[in-house]
Amino acid sequence: MKLNKLISYAMGATVALGLSAGAAKAQYPEKPITLVLPLGAGGSHDLNSRVFTSIIPQYLDNAMIVKLMPGASGQKGTAHVAQSKADGYTLLFTHNFFDQLQQHVTKLPYAPSDFETVVRLNYATPSIVVLASSPHKTLKDMLDWGKANPNKLKFGHSGNWGAIMVPGAMLLSEASVKATLVPHKGGGPTMKALLSGDVDFTMAFPSVIGAQGNKLRVLASLGTERTYKDVPTLKELGYTPSVGLMNRIVMAPKGMPADRMKKLRDAFAAMQKDKTYGNMMKRLGENTELMQGGEYEGVRLEQSKNYEMLVKSITSK
Amino acid sequence: MLDSFLMGLELAFRLDTFAMMAVGLVLGMVVGALPGFTTVMAMAVLLPLSFFLEPLVGIPFLIGVYKGGIYGGSIPAILISMPGTGAAVATTFDGPALTKKKQPRKALEMALFSSVFGDLSSDIITILAIGPIALIAMQIGPPELASVLFLSLVIITITGGGVFVKGLLMMTLGLFISLIGQDPIGALSRFTFDFFAIKSGIPLLPMLIGLFALPEILLAVEKKATSALRQKLDTKEGGPLTWGEFKRCFRTMCRSTVIGTTIGMIPGVGQVVAAFMGYAAAKNASSHPETFGKGELEGVAAAEAANNAVNGPTLVPLLTLGIPGDNVTAILLGAFVAQGLRPGPQLFNEQGSLVYAILIAMVMANILFLILGYFLVPLFAKVVTIQKGILLPLTIVFAFAGSYVFRSDPLDLIILSVFGVFGYLAKKLHFDVTPLVMGFILGPILEYSFGQTVTMSQGNIFAYILGERPITVAIIAATPVLTYYLWKRSARLRSDFGVTED
Repeated sequence: MKLNKLISYAMGATVALGLSAGAAKAQYPEKPITLVLPLGAGGSHDLNSRVFTSIIPQYLDNAMIVKLMPGASGQKGTAHVAQSKADGYTLLFTHNFFDQLQQHVTKLPYAPSDFETVVRLNYATPSIVVLASSPHKTLKDMLDWGKANPNKLKFGHSGNWGAIMVPGAMLLSEASVKATLVPHKGGGPTMKALLSGDVDFTMAFPSVIGAQGNKLRVLASLGTERTYKDVPTLKELGYTPSVGLMNRIVMAPKGMPADRMKKLRDAFAAMQKDKTYGNMMKRLGENTELMQGGEYEGVRLEQSKNYEMLVKSITSK
Repeated sequence: MLDSFLMGLELAFRLDTFAMMAVGLVLGMVVGALPGFTTVMAMAVLLPLSFFLEPLVGIPFLIGVYKGGIYGGSIPAILISMPGTGAAVATTFDGPALTKKKQPRKALEMALFSSVFGDLSSDIITILAIGPIALIAMQIGPPELASVLFLSLVIITITGGGVFVKGLLMMTLGLFISLIGQDPIGALSRFTFDFFAIKSGIPLLPMLIGLFALPEILLAVEKKATSALRQKLDTKEGGPLTWGEFKRCFRTMCRSTVIGTTIGMIPGVGQVVAAFMGYAAAKNASSHPETFGKGELEGVAAAEAANNAVNGPTLVPLLTLGIPGDNVTAILLGAFVAQGLRPGPQLFNEQGSLVYAILIAMVMANILFLILGYFLVPLFAKVVTIQKGILLPLTIVFAFAGSYVFRSDPLDLIILSVFGVFGYLAKKLHFDVTPLVMGFILGPILEYSFGQTVTMSQGNIFAYILGERPITVAIIAATPVLTYYLWKRSARLRSDFGVTED
């Protein structure tokens, strides 16, 4: 059984390398699917994708290959998928801020309507982290220091109008703190910048925080419920975080054949029940709250409206 | 620590580990040798295979693909002047010239030995000094990266063949071409004229093949169209590398290894920069620099030892912080995560023996590769025994097919042709295209890190760097000194030997 699978992947890999490009027409997917991440190495999208691309082949009968394309605040990878054929062999693994918020702040080389959702894989709540050696023991300490020293507090984030920058900018604006925002190519490089002391604080997701052990101090979490038992949420601290939740979504260029879309969605649904998948995600500290694409499309429309207002509120200050 | 090292040693010596590593090495080498396929692509495609293997078999398998792939990339660079990645560009300075001298086997073997030597030494250094290397890697932030890149660009321009001003001109052009597309920080479109296809920039691979491989073909055709076609080539692929030749290059290999290992601590740019720095240093230290670029074995050794010596230290951020520095180590991270392991300080404390086992497997991969490569090299070297009348058209086919499979975009064929013609004209007018390529590859990284530095300094860049970034100050201070020294030296050489520009 195991050997058979191994052989079938070896063959799949060969096809992908173009060595037998003229293979007989079989059922979709007849060659590995490329999953583009518009984000850098070592962030939470990278980690999550590594887990599910190792499980989903069992339900798709072919491999899914991760391709990292960071840069230009996620637009580089997203534009690449927008330019790809809608044949189900190129998918995008992104999040709601790149998907729906960016259109309100910049002129994109594509439109959000160029994509449709395959599934929402899961969601995550970021937490505000500093180094364990940082003088800021609580969020209040840090924000007070930031207020007293305008532009001195350095906030490292994973790209303009990305999943870390947006909630961070909202918090800073609500607390009337003027900080310096330093962009990085994804969550991995951002965490490295924090660890080496290039920035004072950032936000990160459980899978990234988990690996650093006791090197970090979590000051607060976003969302309505506590992510860590002994760490307060922003709401408990008296702030009103209207965004923060990051949806990790798998998208396809619009116009993909319906049978292929169904095959993909079914595979994700089947994978959600997989025990190994559940265990691995648990170990990363991430959830497996899958939402089917059809349902998520409604969420997208709502996000677009909310983000438009949000951007107005941030940029008007 | 010694305990986990010894346990790791025990874990690594397994027959299936070695068997899959050998499979990985050969697969990597073949894929790396095919134009249009990069090591990263090969690893990404083969990553799912490792999911079905134990960690100590799957991860060494991928390491095998990685090492085999990097060497594989130097095969077309040496034989048909077709570099697949920026790291192989420096190998095209002397490799193809050696092939023309009917010594492809020597060149390929030199590349093999110096690759293995550089890699092996850097792996051992990494194992011995993983703690200090991790500390140094933490000191490298955007300001340091920007200053190192700037220094590299200056050195590449000065030590290139030909006239300094021409090199500068090409470098500027390369930097300019790298600006096309979206800017890396604010994502604004630049020089795209709303032309959708180039919004994400000019792709590197068709540009490399166009600039380096096509002009060679055009020149060969032009030089002796008739005689080349009728030419009876030797049926031998040239003699093997001799012990004397290896010994002659040994100093160069050691120097390049030190350079490569040092540069490897800077995540991201390692291989490209290291290959050039190694080459430049060898040329500079040589008592006969005029032979460089005309088929000098030391040139091949310098570039290959340096770009492979980067491999050891690049793993350090992944193993100690859990944050990969580039796409290759990101794929290794994927293999770890899919196995239920999460690299980072935690992993090192909890499963130190496993981490050491993987590092030891890397060392073993090198030795295994030396043996495998030694038997495979003569096969690749046979390429020169193909008649020119068949080899040249075949190279054209490879150039176009390679550019197309890269991302299946017909636009890439146009880019290939444009740069092919450009490269030919540049050759005719005695312009070296290398600074252009380097400017193009390093430009965006330089821009990004400089942008980050400006942001971090809150606009007051001088005070920030002088006050908080001593390493950057040292690198910036060294730049004009090194520039002057190298410029003086190259000026003296030119007066001694005449202008050596073609």
